[in-house]
Amino acid sequence: MKTTYHSASMELSIPSELGYEIIARDAVAVFALRLGFSPERVEDLKTALSEACINAIEHGNLLTPGLRVHIACIYDHERLIIQIHDQGLKRYACTTTPLTTAEKIAGLGSMRGMGLLLIEQLMDEAGFLPDAQDGNCFRFTLYR
Amino acid sequence: MSNNQSEMRPLEKIIELRLPSRLGYERVAMDTASSLARRMGFHGDRVDALKTAVSEAVTNAIEHGNQHDAAMKVVVLLTVRDDELIVSVADQGRQMLDQHSTTRIPQIQDILDKDDKGGWGIWLIRELVDEVEFTTAPSGGNQVRMVIHLER
Repeated sequence: MKTTYHSASMELSIPSELGYEIIARDAVAVFALRLGFSPERVEDLKTALSEACINAIEHGNLLTPGLRVHIACIYDHERLIIQIHDQGLKRYACTTTPLTTAEKIAGLGSMRGMGLLLIEQLMDEAGFLPDAQDGNCFRFTLYR
Repeated sequence: MSNNQSEMRPLEKIIELRLPSRLGYERVAMDTASSLARRMGFHGDRVDALKTAVSEAVTNAIEHGNQHDAAMKVVVLLTVRDDELIVSVADQGRQMLDQHSTTRIPQIQDILDKDDKGGWGIWLIRELVDEVEFTTAPSGGNQVRMVIHLER
């Protein structure tokens, strides 16, 4: 399906360093509010974006100084798509079925690794793009 | 950035923002700059001054440089140094800035006599930040570079 993007798209690039996800979070939150998303949905978006950026910094870019995280916000009237692109020092590979949040809280596994589960709960769609080039690309979508 | 520059400025970090040329989106640049400046330790009044300066610069880029063409982008670079924040705003230069306008001090009577009450933006930017420079961006458009110093 061909998607015609609204001109209200925005791109943001931050240093791959913990702390800068807060700046990205604030920038994307204002952008979503400008598009008319409710404050409640924007709060969910802020949490999801922070988690995704931290994943990119910690796991995709392995906390390596000098690398960057690129965030694209694409709006097409029906939905806001956010893509977080890291430089892929470590490629995402989900080889086993991840534990659910309830299983983790029940003590069946590490309490780490809740970020992706949280994002999936908060956003309408979320996942890694399987054919991403030059790194990992995590995408999530917020429908109107 | 060259390696030599990196060695000279080990604490320099850059945030890049590419915005649509549509009025209202200057707010994204304002709040991003504000978020960053607060975390760097700037006082509230300096953050407010920065927000106004960034708003004026991005609005100028949207209205004048890019002539409200929403397909054109405004690029905002926020460079964090240990003792200052540099904000660079560049447009794609559909209309180039008259260099004379960057140094002119607007006269209030002239403004009151005009239907368009605008024309204060560049003067305001000069009043609000520590350093201002108007140049041509690498892309060929207009670029304004604003610096505010961090006073501890």
